[in-house]
Amino acid sequence: MKIQFPFEHLTAEVQAQNIKGTLWLHVNGRTFVYESEAQKKRQRSKSGGASTGLINSPMPGKITKIFKKLGDEVKAGEAILVMEAMKMEYTLKADVAGSLKSLDCQLGDQVALGKKLAQVQPSTVEKSAEKPVEKPV
Amino acid sequence: MAEHLKSKSITRLAIANRGEVAVRIIRACEELGIETVLLHSEPDTGTRAYRMATKKICIGPAPTSESYLNIQANIQGAIAGGAQAVHPGFGFLSENADFAEACEKAGLIFVGPSAKSIRILGDKVSCKELAKRLGLPLVPGYEGENQEVDHLSQVAEKIGFPVIVKAAAGGGGRGMKVLNSRAECRELIESAQRESLSAFGSSKVFIEKYLNRAKHIEFQVFGDATGRVIHLYDRECSVQRRHQKIIEEATSPSLTPELRRKMGEVAVQIAQAAQYKGAGTVEFLLQDDEFYLLEVNTRLQVEHPVTEEVLGVDLVKAQIMTAMGEPVFTDVNSLTLSPRGHSIECRLYAENPYLGGVPSTGLLGLVEFPEGPGRRFEYGFEEGDTITSYYDPMISKVIVWDETRLRAIQKMIRVLKDTVIFGVHTNIPYLIEILSHPEFISGTMTTRFIEKNFSNPLSAPDLSALEKAAGLAALAKIGGSASVSVNSSAATEKSPWQAAWRGI
Repeated sequence: MKIQFPFEHLTAEVQAQNIKGTLWLHVNGRTFVYESEAQKKRQRSKSGGASTGLINSPMPGKITKIFKKLGDEVKAGEAILVMEAMKMEYTLKADVAGSLKSLDCQLGDQVALGKKLAQVQPSTVEKSAEKPVEKPV
Repeated sequence: MAEHLKSKSITRLAIANRGEVAVRIIRACEELGIETVLLHSEPDTGTRAYRMATKKICIGPAPTSESYLNIQANIQGAIAGGAQAVHPGFGFLSENADFAEACEKAGLIFVGPSAKSIRILGDKVSCKELAKRLGLPLVPGYEGENQEVDHLSQVAEKIGFPVIVKAAAGGGGRGMKVLNSRAECRELIESAQRESLSAFGSSKVFIEKYLNRAKHIEFQVFGDATGRVIHLYDRECSVQRRHQKIIEEATSPSLTPELRRKMGEVAVQIAQAAQYKGAGTVEFLLQDDEFYLLEVNTRLQVEHPVTEEVLGVDLVKAQIMTAMGEPVFTDVNSLTLSPRGHSIECRLYAENPYLGGVPSTGLLGLVEFPEGPGRRFEYGFEEGDTITSYYDPMISKVIVWDETRLRAIQKMIRVLKDTVIFGVHTNIPYLIEILSHPEFISGTMTTRFIEKNFSNPLSAPDLSALEKAAGLAALAKIGGSASVSVNSSAATEKSPWQAAWRGI
């Protein structure tokens, strides 16, 4: 709906709509959203934190390749699995070095946004001590 | 309809596609007095094409292999719907010779070139062989049968990095990867083979030299029912991300009259050699004033509207008329057909530009396109429809025309700013950044433009004072359902709502 509001002695107008707890706004050529705390929390719990070794699905899609087995050593930045969504492939990589602690999906699985796919147990070894192993893929 | 229809009259046409192109075809049919049969997948009932088509037939579940790529399901659907012809749109089965052949066998007119033409030109390998025989300029590469990853890696090394690996049967950026070193070969070649298999049903790939500062220029060609082939000038599509086009324009700002003439001749030559009928596109790379024939797309192109805008033609109608054996472009001939002004198309993708382009799906809220002179909107979804993750992220196209390129750019920026799409995130902020970039404005951009200038996700801007005020006003009015109390005079920090730049 269009809402008029006072701004700097003039009347401005914003297009606004509440869709499932997210408030969508368009004003002066830009679109942005306001999220309720409840909505935000729900989203935050879905997406993985930084550098925790947790790999969550960034989008709904299909698992098309898994490079690693449980217990495998992985380097930071190394590809763990590949998923396909909207006809494009996305490679999901480890954000920390360590070993694969859990693998929570199988080849061909259709997964939802935010689903936990794998977890890397960060290694305690110093970066410099890491042995660069030949890429097994 | 005219009584002296030469051969095959079409009174009902089936559409083997979805989204905005299905709408585009339905519109053309409506104008020609032809009824339509939409062949759709199970989830695609909440779409604009579904609401517009005369008849709708469900051909299978969501996965494309069981619906939009299923040849038999499409043929059976077309026959059950009483159609005499099938328009494949673009993507899906549009470049599938087996589908064209199956249509003919079933007594259906395939709106497009013959299966034979598709086999010759659509398969990149045989297309190259034909070009070689004709002495047309090609990029160095390998298109052999040996698909062993080790062998392909060696070939890549021999050609010299960077090289590009791509699907032999495909287009549209799927199954394409750039290899910069031997170390990347295995992972990326296998990935290209998988994408190729899933998108086109064949894992065959080929390799060629990657031109690293080339422009993507393509020529629209058209073969009419009498066998005459003409070209309808050029488009430039250098703005690509991961080999998927984002912004296209007609005509190219990069061609001299001499280059335009030469490239146009090559385009017509190869199409003619394959006895091309209908709309097709001959793609080139242009680097240092040298051009190389890249591939031929044996179908209507996503970016066909920019050609229509500068030439004043209707390519979809022309395709259908040609399928009926009728003459096309009758008001003009190839000598007087000349482009006027400048046209730009932007593809709107459902993705989050502040999160590196992660696909965005969900229920569409308000959708508003600002109409006006020289503005055109091709869209397949409206308020209340759901964008699913099963299909392409392109949800609509915005096309503008103006007298000069600069004015067309200005118009596009304004139109994008005034476009409202709620419910899914879109690449609109990203498109505006691109259109405002000096390299784009100067027209010197190459296919590496995005990689060079936009490799990082856009950073979310701060809310302006106006936007904050708008947010408060809106929250006071509608944001706060009973459970949310907002004191409009209180500081935003106290609000249970927080601004997020289209963040997930």
